[in-house]
Amino acid sequence: MSSQVIYSSSPAERRAAGRAQVAPWVWLAGPYALVLFLFLAIPLCNLVVLSLFRYSATSIWTPELTASNYARILDGFYIALTLRSLWIGAITTALCVVLGYPLAYFLARCSPRALSLGLFLLVLPLMVSTVIRAFGWIILLGREGAINSLLRALGIGEPLGMLYSEGSVIVALVQYVLPLMVLPLMAAIERIPLSLEEAAVNLGSSAATVFRRLIFPLSLPGLVSGILLSFTVSISVVVTPALLGGRKVRMFGNEIYDQVVTANNWPFASSLAVMMILLTFLAIALGLAAGARAGRRR
Amino acid sequence: MGTRASLEIEGLVKRYSSDVQIGPVSFRVEEGEFFSLLGTSGCGKTTILRCIAGFETPDEGRIILNGERLDTKAPHKRGVGLVFQNLTLFPHLTAAQNIGFGLALRKVPAAEVGRRVEAMLELVGLRGLGARMPNQLSGGQQQRVALARSLVLEPPLMLMDEPLSSLDLKLRLQMREELRQLQRRLHKTTIFVTHDQGEALALSDRIAVLSVGRIEQIGAPAEVYAAPVSCFVADFIGSSNLLASEIVARRGEEVEIVTAAGLRLSARWRANGDARAVTALIRPDAVRLLPEGPDGAQVPNSFAARVVDVTFLGEDIQLRVTVEEKETLLICQKSAGLPKALSPSQSLRIHVEPSDIFLLSR
Repeated sequence: MSSQVIYSSSPAERRAAGRAQVAPWVWLAGPYALVLFLFLAIPLCNLVVLSLFRYSATSIWTPELTASNYARILDGFYIALTLRSLWIGAITTALCVVLGYPLAYFLARCSPRALSLGLFLLVLPLMVSTVIRAFGWIILLGREGAINSLLRALGIGEPLGMLYSEGSVIVALVQYVLPLMVLPLMAAIERIPLSLEEAAVNLGSSAATVFRRLIFPLSLPGLVSGILLSFTVSISVVVTPALLGGRKVRMFGNEIYDQVVTANNWPFASSLAVMMILLTFLAIALGLAAGARAGRRR
Repeated sequence: MGTRASLEIEGLVKRYSSDVQIGPVSFRVEEGEFFSLLGTSGCGKTTILRCIAGFETPDEGRIILNGERLDTKAPHKRGVGLVFQNLTLFPHLTAAQNIGFGLALRKVPAAEVGRRVEAMLELVGLRGLGARMPNQLSGGQQQRVALARSLVLEPPLMLMDEPLSSLDLKLRLQMREELRQLQRRLHKTTIFVTHDQGEALALSDRIAVLSVGRIEQIGAPAEVYAAPVSCFVADFIGSSNLLASEIVARRGEEVEIVTAAGLRLSARWRANGDARAVTALIRPDAVRLLPEGPDGAQVPNSFAARVVDVTFLGEDIQLRVTVEEKETLLICQKSAGLPKALSPSQSLRIHVEPSDIFLLSR
């Protein structure tokens, strides 16, 4: 009898009972897929189309195809802008790796109580709006800011021009994207049993060797996710470079914003946006390929 | 450092809190000896092993390997082999790379690493499987690679922390036999931690039986089994009937005892002293079944008994009987030797040789 009860709830039995057949993924992933399609895929198509239209000072929608918007990106100014964005993203990501690995290791191995406090402190910056966080950095780094006041009080030379530099943007970005590096890394390290580390130590590994031969290769998938998240987020920020970078440190997002809001050149803004999306895809593809190669080696 | 050594533990103490403490523990493991630490979980056997490996720091005492202090060295410089309870192969390396891990750290030339790894694979019976990843190996094979990974470094001392407990029963027995063969060939000084008395009895030259945080008895397997020094050891090694008793008469070695339930038995008193309160230990396989009849009544220590419960264990049959309606005894008999089927409430006649009753003073 009991086996019949089990069988009657199997998919085959339900099909026989004539109930509606819907594959599980349709109702599990379907709702979000629909939202993505309506509010991301369709607008993106619109963006691509718009990026191929000629700019007109009088109307946004001028159905006159041209490649001139893309040709304009090849101008030295925009090449420099692109390189600067990628550079800032790369430096930020590299700093996050250096700062994030020890932190992720600590959080993965600490007591549950320390972990909940640590996680709270880690994501705390994300709970403050980007604008307010940027103003915080202005107060700290400004010409009359906290750090310069302290230096003056200690009688140390000229005030430092820290604000409105690449440095100030990178510092603020590192603080912003660090959790995106630490969380996936931590999850990957947590899955490495402590006894593996002990086995490596027992075979003669110093702490540095344990990291190089064990922790690093085994947490590589988490590192790849962390790098992808940190890099894509940090090359596409707008507010942070706008408030902390001044006129000098403009990034991709700032130019798109200005083209839309100030210059009203939506077609060119669209082509910049498409370029940025393509660059991001390229970065993700490279990252995933590197991760897959490391995975195959395993 | 040689490939074999003696180890001495002197007054080792590890405190976890004011009332939880392991030790003080002292023992000596001779060169080439297979020494087991046997006890239930929480008795401190793994802690002692981890102190030797360097993953725990003892609060007191010294660990001396071949006359040199071991406990002051960093864990990665102790050169003591350790095989873990769970499977701890490095999942991103092949079996051969796992075995070569320690050699590579010691900057051994690649050609020699290859040669020694092959020799090890051969030794643990895994020839040709060096290119497999750990997840392509069975649990038993993984544990053999783990063993090879330590042995290839020719450590003076091997530590094994319940290495067979993650395997299923049949494999466990097979691996136990292989470990025995390996030990016969290598004569490696080994400390083997286990909660399985069968493993300890089968493998060891000597066993240390641990109760909560201290050593109850150290001795050869036969000695620990036949002459336990305490009720704890008697109860832990093998199964046994332990009867609280009192000595009521004595003629030289021969004594008469009466159990708390009132059963009168003849026994031998081997120890010195004149204690009266004793615990009588009767191994289940020391009890014999007698054919029923008047002649049986003449034999000393023979009693009428009634079967309470029968458990068929394959080779053995285990019986629980009440003796003269007073004591309950556990009896173990070879099932092949039994004349007829046994069933509850059946009457029997049983007999225990006085020399098979072991008395422990209380």
